[in-house]
Amino acid sequence: MAGSAEVLARVSELIGDLKPDDVALLKGLHRLQHEFGYIPKDAIPLLAAQFNTTPAIIFGTIDFYSELRQKPPAENVVSWCSGPACLLKGSGGIRRALEATLGCAMGEASADGKYELQLVQCDGTCQLAPLIRSEGRYIGPLSSSEAIKFARRLKGETEVPVPPAEEGDAAAAEASE
Amino acid sequence: MAAYEALREAADAAWAPFEKPSRTLIRVNLGTCSLVVGAQETLDALRASVQAGELEADVMATGCSGLCHAEPLVEVTQPGGPSVLYGQLTADRVPALVERIASRVLAHEMALAVAADEPMGDVPPLGSLPFMRGQVRRLMANCGVTDPLEIDHYLARGGYEGLNKALRMEPEQVVAEMLESGLWGRGGAGFPTGRKWEFLRTSERHPKYIICNADEGDPGAFVNRNIMESDPHLLLEGVIIGGFASDADRAFIYIRDEYPVPVVRMEKAIEDAYAKGLAGKDILGSGFDFEVEVVRGAGSYVCGDETGLLSSLEDRRGMPKLKPPFPAESGALGQPSNINNVESYANASLILRHGSAWWASAGTEENRGTKMFSLSGKVERVGVLEVPLGTLTRQVVVEMGGGVPEGRTLKAVQSGGPLSGVLPGSDVDIPLEPGPYRERGTLLGAGGLVLLDDSDCIVDLCIYFQWFAEDESCGRCTTCFAGTRRALEILKRIASGRGREADLELLKLLGRIAANANCFHGQGAPTVIASTFRYFEDELMEHVRHKRCPAKRCAGLVRYEVLHQSERLAEAAAICPVGAVVEEGGAYRIDQESCVKCDACREQAPYAIGLVDEFGV
Ligand SMILES: Cc1cc2nc3c(=O)[nH]c(=O)nc-3n(C[C@H](O)[C@H](O)[C@H](O)COP(=O)(O)O)c2cc1C
Ligand code: FES
Repeated sequence: MAGSAEVLARVSELIGDLKPDDVALLKGLHRLQHEFGYIPKDAIPLLAAQFNTTPAIIFGTIDFYSELRQKPPAENVVSWCSGPACLLKGSGGIRRALEATLGCAMGEASADGKYELQLVQCDGTCQLAPLIRSEGRYIGPLSSSEAIKFARRLKGETEVPVPPAEEGDAAAAEASE
Repeated sequence: MAAYEALREAADAAWAPFEKPSRTLIRVNLGTCSLVVGAQETLDALRASVQAGELEADVMATGCSGLCHAEPLVEVTQPGGPSVLYGQLTADRVPALVERIASRVLAHEMALAVAADEPMGDVPPLGSLPFMRGQVRRLMANCGVTDPLEIDHYLARGGYEGLNKALRMEPEQVVAEMLESGLWGRGGAGFPTGRKWEFLRTSERHPKYIICNADEGDPGAFVNRNIMESDPHLLLEGVIIGGFASDADRAFIYIRDEYPVPVVRMEKAIEDAYAKGLAGKDILGSGFDFEVEVVRGAGSYVCGDETGLLSSLEDRRGMPKLKPPFPAESGALGQPSNINNVESYANASLILRHGSAWWASAGTEENRGTKMFSLSGKVERVGVLEVPLGTLTRQVVVEMGGGVPEGRTLKAVQSGGPLSGVLPGSDVDIPLEPGPYRERGTLLGAGGLVLLDDSDCIVDLCIYFQWFAEDESCGRCTTCFAGTRRALEILKRIASGRGREADLELLKLLGRIAANANCFHGQGAPTVIASTFRYFEDELMEHVRHKRCPAKRCAGLVRYEVLHQSERLAEAAAICPVGAVVEEGGAYRIDQESCVKCDACREQAPYAIGLVDEFGV
């Protein structure tokens, strides 16, 4: 829908009050992302005109910041914390598990465009490390198995029935932990 | 000024019911760390109980008292009695608590501590909890006590008294008070704050800007976040005092985009300050005009560097600039500016309120005042605390934080974020002060302390920090963007078992070259590698010479193998996202080609599946 006359009209409305040299570009970009979920490419010339600069400067700015999106988000975005506490507590395995289960690499969307893995920075919720976030929810501390189950549920896959483990074996497993 | 006295009087009246409640008062900590574990639901459940008539009480939200490991934290105060704190009080535990409060029985089995000097039955005094013992809470005095959205709470507890005093002084006297205190900047570089203010004060060119660096980009650091979401006015007051002292016109509080809660609370604080005449035109009738606004970052570590922040304010890429010119000559939009960290401004509020002598009574001769730290990683008690500078590192990470989990040993303390190094776990008897850290080739930094234990791999940490440095490099200077990339490649090669002896020299060479990077981002990036050479060379050499990761963390140096056949392997096969746990003729094995080494199979069958390298299990 980006590029349609309504979108451009809405962009103009959202940034119309912002002035150049007044520390306002980030404000404008946040407004657009809030409205559309990303910064539509066609907003760039309008932003350039509003801020009295070139489209290249505007694009360079958008491209520079990791929280600004240039594409609409997938239906389901799963955020993976890249921070140190999560790293030390096993986020590497969780990442590999999610990539394999959702079928997309970090920072990308699955082929059907339904799922997306997003890398996020530590926001100091490290008591939940290792964690992921989904739909505003924080999920942690998470094991790789739990991450896989989470991703399978997200994909609507029914859980594969598993024969119950034998008592003795489970006890041995616990003993070895 | 009369204007302040009037505000204070009204605020005292508004705060009185919370200071000395006439009926049960329940506080719920509401900060980023508690919201993610359901504090809002706890608050809602408590309010619903009051609505339903199950409980006669006032319920209020506060900021975060720093005990992140015990969130959601709830504090119950009975009229005339001490407050009792309850940890991990999720909504499902609210009915049990409500019942006890209603029947006026101390729910001692649920209680964490009592806010009194003496124990209450078997509930220990708050100050006796290991996490609290040794803390000196000045910056955090209101954290978990007041409602951060209520300016009256802040005012009633002495807030804006510092500003009121400052406005009656000459700006140079305010600067003198700051110099007298000995406060140095808390953002990492440690430059005396008063001197920076003096630079800006003596600059004649208006408009002049005050900038607060609330980017807090170091992963694992969350002390600035705690101030902004728990006591936003403490920061705002300091910013306005800084504006008056340096004769500035406008302030920008630059908050990282990853901090939505602080953004909302700072914006509310600013709005309320305007409404009370504490910001904007003719502040408290003094004739001083000062505008304040929040600027939301958009995800960039180098925008925490002061010159990167300036670029970011100038509506373009947030690339750091060369110095000179220094911000006091040419800062935001080319105008004279001063940049300080959140904790620096927050301290200014206390210095002006209580005087520099009182402020300097904490800490050491060289390093005065208190400092906030956040603990995370392999630590028993994740949280935020405040101690006098000079407190021993061991006391904070081992005694207060509880150290690494049972059965493990402390391998290292990573302080100061990705551009800093590590302190070996055997050397933690040094004071938390910049000097001793610098002597050991690392940096104390802005407050993040991340603990590593002996199951962690130092090469893994180096890879993470080099990845971070490379990913966040602004791309302007080759030294930085290509240097960090090369270092990352080499480290990854080592971690995958293809390391060569020559790689060690290459890493050292890259470390020397980095000194020529334009800004401290590139210069600081190899610090963690230098620390590794200094303290963990054997471990690095094991990776290079013997292709062995002693901690078995480097995925390229280990593989998963079925060691014993077991019923549990069916579960392992079911969980594997790539079908690598295969059954053939009743026996399971791991298909090494498809295995992604996510560890899920071993979680399911820890006895049957082992992590193996060329040297065995
Ligand atoms: C790459 C980089 C990132 C930085 N990030 C921060 C930050 O997030 N917060 C901060 O206060 N200082 C940060 N600094 C330090 C600032 O450049 C500056 O020294 C500080 O904000 C000054 O404030 P202070 O004097 O109150 O410490 C960073 C420096 C570099 C090189
Ligand atoms: S490291 Fe993941 S939340 Fe801090």
